[in-house]
Amino acid sequence: MKLLEVKNLIVETNGKMILDEVDLKIEKGEVLALLGPNASGKSTFAKSIMGLPEYKIKSGEIYFKGKDIKKLALEKRVKEGMALVFQNPPALPGIKLEKLLDLISDKRGEYEKNHINLLERDVNVNFSGGEKKISELIQVLALNPSLLILDEIDSGLDMRKRGEVVDIIKEKVKEGMSILIITHQGEILEQINPNRVGVMINGKIICESTNYKKVLKIIKENDYAKCKHCKKM
Amino acid sequence: MPSANIVKKCSPDFLLIDNEVKSINKSDEVLILSSVDAWSSLDWTKKYFDGKPKGGYFIWVKKQIDFPLSTCVNIAGMNIKQDLQNLMVIERGIKAKANVVCSSLKANLFGVHKARGKLILKEGASLEYNHVHKWGSNDNVIPDYEFILGKGSSLDYNYLNMFSPKDLNIKNKIICGEDSSVNLSIAVNGIDSNIKIKEEVLLQGKGSQAISRLKLVGRKNANIVAESSIIATEKSKGHIDCQSLMIDDKSKISSIPLLICENKEAQITHEASIGKVSEEQLNYLRARGLNEKQAIDLIISGFLKA
Repeated sequence: MKLLEVKNLIVETNGKMILDEVDLKIEKGEVLALLGPNASGKSTFAKSIMGLPEYKIKSGEIYFKGKDIKKLALEKRVKEGMALVFQNPPALPGIKLEKLLDLISDKRGEYEKNHINLLERDVNVNFSGGEKKISELIQVLALNPSLLILDEIDSGLDMRKRGEVVDIIKEKVKEGMSILIITHQGEILEQINPNRVGVMINGKIICESTNYKKVLKIIKENDYAKCKHCKKM
Repeated sequence: MPSANIVKKCSPDFLLIDNEVKSINKSDEVLILSSVDAWSSLDWTKKYFDGKPKGGYFIWVKKQIDFPLSTCVNIAGMNIKQDLQNLMVIERGIKAKANVVCSSLKANLFGVHKARGKLILKEGASLEYNHVHKWGSNDNVIPDYEFILGKGSSLDYNYLNMFSPKDLNIKNKIICGEDSSVNLSIAVNGIDSNIKIKEEVLLQGKGSQAISRLKLVGRKNANIVAESSIIATEKSKGHIDCQSLMIDDKSKISSIPLLICENKEAQITHEASIGKVSEEQLNYLRARGLNEKQAIDLIISGFLKA
């Protein structure tokens, strides 16, 4: 059953086309990895399907749980079951993480118990890279989404924090949560084992495969551009 | 910055409702009286009062205390007019903390709260004064406070007003003696209010220091005029930081920092900014499921408390 279906999506920001006729589907319970170099449009894709207002959809369709959500406000998409871990979340001075969690969810996740010190601090104010990722995960998991979008979740993490993040994601995969992992590094995929992988370059999906290891190998040995040879593998 | 929760948890050392003193706690270290009783029983207090008081509190911290002092002044009835004089004296070398709440207990009581206050910090004394206001939308509130800082004393004054009345006219005057220091923080959420703030710090003592932070929010036809000044007559240091957030086009904020220097050894500076709610913060909170109003309320609350 399709959870997310994106058809011919064209997106502009500041008058510049970033996404060019993107098609992508995520099945219920599926883990899809979206790879691509910096500035290829991966984060724009994540933010566009979430409904962040600075990204203007020029044409195309976005269906979530079979419902057209293209005109749905950002916060309503969250209520429908989508949640995004931001790559660069903004600092929120004066707003404690605990207060934010109280406002966004009645149900508190189990992960925050191991991070009491973070709860007492202002969100993303003087957080390390790892603390930001943990804070993001605590927030989105409190929302208990059907589709979790992880934008560069593996960047800026040391080995220990990466291990912690991977363990959390694996547990959610086991529980059947659908996950879209956006990464330009790819290493995290070896630990997560996604069902499928797509490669985005210049705002286009140039490759889709169920064999993420093969795609990673091509990328490591050659370059992202070579992935066009493995289109629809 | 004081928490607005102080209002909810108020079990004070001094409780005044409308114009009636409801309770006063006693302790060996602190003498607490109504201002009326202080005027009649302690002659020396007369020099600090502006004529015979009609109401208010007198707090004299004579010995070191290990608990925070608290006062609650409430308006509970319709059309109540309070005309208070509050006097707090902190003796030499004493460190004290006071949580002070003034509020209306309901939204539409059309109350008037006029409070003149004088806080005397004697040599080496230290006071953290957390002042929370919570008013109804039709109240008229006029606090007029003077802080006199003795040699080597220090004051942390934190004023938070998340629920502004229809008219709010704040006057604060801080007189800094030799080697004294003051940290002032005033945060006001102006909603459909006429607000005037006049804050004046006098750096009269050699080596005195002052930091004055003003945070203002203007929304729903709020009209705010805030003048914050430092006047340095001795070798001293001072800084004014005025930050404001405009939530809509129907409000107006006039933020006026003023520096007057009468001593070439003094260093006084200021910065002022008026901006809007960050789109990035707003969309981030919406991406956590909050609607626009909830997100803006949270950002404002964070801005005022940070």
